[in-house]
Parts: sequence; C-alpha cells; structure tokens
Amino acid sequence: MTADPHAPIETAAAEPDYFDVLQQAIRELLVEKGLIEADEVRAMIETLDAHQPALGSALVARAWTDEAFKERLLADGTAAIEEFGIENYDGTKLIVLEQTPEEHNLVVCTLCSCYPRPVLGLPPDWYKSRPYRARAVREPRVLLKEFGTDVPEDVTIRVHDSNANMRYLVLPMRPAGTDGMTERELAGLVTRDTMIGVTTPRLP
Amino acid sequence: MSDRFVKHQRVRIADRDAPGHVRTPVYARGREGRIERVLPRFLNPEREAYGVNEGTDVTLYRVRIDQSALWPDYDGPADDVLELEIYEHWLEPADRPHPEEVTP
Amino acid sequence: MTTKRDLVVQPAHDLGGLPAGPLVRSDHELTPFEKNCHALLNVLSRHKLVNTEEKRRGVEDLGAQIIGELTYYERWAVSASKVLNEKGVITSAELGAKMNEIRTRLREAA
Repeated sequence: MTADPHAPIETAAAEPDYFDVLQQAIRELLVEKGLIEADEVRAMIETLDAHQPALGSALVARAWTDEAFKERLLADGTAAIEEFGIENYDGTKLIVLEQTPEEHNLVVCTLCSCYPRPVLGLPPDWYKSRPYRARAVREPRVLLKEFGTDVPEDVTIRVHDSNANMRYLVLPMRPAGTDGMTERELAGLVTRDTMIGVTTPRLP
Repeated sequence: MSDRFVKHQRVRIADRDAPGHVRTPVYARGREGRIERVLPRFLNPEREAYGVNEGTDVTLYRVRIDQSALWPDYDGPADDVLELEIYEHWLEPADRPHPEEVTP
Repeated sequence: MTTKRDLVVQPAHDLGGLPAGPLVRSDHELTPFEKNCHALLNVLSRHKLVNTEEKRRGVEDLGAQIIGELTYYERWAVSASKVLNEKGVITSAELGAKMNEIRTRLREAA
C-alpha cells in the first residue's frame, strides 16, 4: 500500500503536506479574524459523521410500512425528512423519486458531485468519477448493467441530472416476500446504492 | 413576479457559450423538452459564483428531454428520458410543436 | 478534436455525455485531511465567506491541468484560498506567513 499523502501531519515523518497546511492556515486565519468560531469546523465534522446512509435506509423502510408517510415523502421530501427527525444541515431541497414497475429512476450530477447528504452522507468515490458522470446521462442502461442491474426494455428509465439546487433520493420498490419483516429488518435491505438508483433491494 | 413557464409547456434550452460559471450542462444546450415541474426561485448561480449573495432570485424548472432528442445514437427504448434543472433565463418557448402533438 | 473554444466552453468539470471508460466501483473512508476540508468549506459557505457557487467557480478556474492532477479536496482547499484572496477576506501575504508558522509548529512537534 502506498503512503497516504494526507496522513495526520503531526505523526508524519516527512514534510507537512502542502494542502493540509493550506486548509489549516485558512481555518486559523479566519478564526483569528473572528470570521468563524474556533470550534466550528470540529462541530461540522461531527455533523458530517452523524449523517450516514442508514438514515436514508430507515426513511425508506418507514415509507414502505406507512403509506401516509410515503405520500408526504413523495409530495415534499424536505418537509418529510424533517418530520422524520433528519437534520437538513445543508439547507438543500429534496425530491424523492419512486421506483415503480413502469419506471426506473437514476441520479447523477454531471457537473460536480451534488448528492442528498443529509439523508445519505457523503457520496462514494465512483459517484464523483468521470465514467459515472459522463455515461449515466448517455447510456444509462449499459452503465446499470455494469452495476449488475438489468432494466427491462418495457421499463422507462428516467435519468435525473442533479445539476443545480435540488437533491434527489430514490425510493426503491419493496421486494416481494418481505410481508413479515419488521421496519428494522426492512431497513437492512435498503443499501445506499438502491437509493441512488444503480441497484435494487434484494433479499439476503 | 410570476413564473414565465408552466408545467408541460414545451421549451428550448438556450444555446449560449460565453465564458463564465454556469449550471447548464453543455450537452443540454439548444435542446427541446417539456417543463416537468416548476421549482422555487433561487439565487442566480452565475452571479452567486462571483459573490453576489442576494437580490438575483430566478425561477428554476425541471425540464424533461427525450433521450433520443439528446443523443442521436441513443441505444434504448423511445420512452427513456432525462430530466435536469434549468434556470428561467436559459429557457425560451419552443414554438414548433412536437411531432406527436400535430393532429393528422 | 478539442478546439481552443471547447476548452473555454466545456471546462473540465462538465462531463455529461463525454467519452469515458468502464465504471470502477471505488470508494474509501475520508482521511482526516479530507474531512477537515469538507467541514471547512461547509463552514465558509454558512458564513457566506465562500459560497458553494464561488467554491465551484474557483475549482473550474484552476484549469484542466490542475483539476486533473489534484485530488478532489486538494482542489477545494486551493479554490477556497483563491476566492478568499479575491474577496479581500485574507491576503496572500498573511496566508503565506500563517502556512510557514504552521509548518514550523509541526516540525517542532515532530
């Protein structure tokens, strides 16, 4: 394994990393100038750590078991996640897209890496990669096959380019054979990738 | 201020290429589609990118475009679509009716 | 063939529909540096010191070569420093002095 260029600098034997010194210098200067609080960046890291895909999984499981909640989620995603207790810390607006037997939704950001962070955390590397961003809009069916997802020809694909202010969460279809499962067990079926639209939930 | 476009209206995305920070992807410029929904107003990102943090609100729309209209060689069913967000100042009415709308 | 106009009109971040290789399902846990950068830019955005569009514009303005060579969060750090400098929030001189101060501190602690 190659050395991590951004290993914690206080323990690194080599020269401090240029970019790590840069980010630290920006933070310290702005604190000295009274433009940000000394503790703010650390507190923001805690917020980032608290937002993981498990929040989205729990949200989907609730929608699968509570029809009225699902309706509210589809009508106004932003209000529904707040009702569910998820802090919308980045202030973005959420649109929830329902997978149906007729329609398969897929989310991409061709311009950068827009992602529903309050419900899914930070995006995986592949979501930010050139192959995903370039090809999702042009050949979604071929790309989905590379994820092992075969969308039949009679199912319409709706690709959503998350290119501006809205954020998108896919509400996957509840798999057959899960009638006896608890909400918690159902959440276990809802992986991050099913909520981006690149895979579909499966029974273990 | 009322929104200039309504749901289902046919629109054309402007084909402009001046330098500057914009959120209209190159692949969508000059293409036609329909308003999928009208979104709230947001600060114009083209001004926000240069530090203008107020007073530039513009309506945002989701525009639905047929994949076959975007990529001449699109390899998939004719119903496949792409949707993206376009600010009002990038949209113009598409006068020419869609072929499917012309009654025989 | 890429023309000079294309370099201006389709900068390195606008990738939709361009040729690209097979998908690699890569991911990694963020390093402390990456988390610090992400959190810092969120805080800068909250205070409108560097809003999200300014950060993006700052990255785009780095140009294709730097965008290609730097990692995702390295680009953010450089973009933030440039935007703060442009806006007169910090000067290059004080940033340079602070960077030297931090390096000295880190070497002494090592």
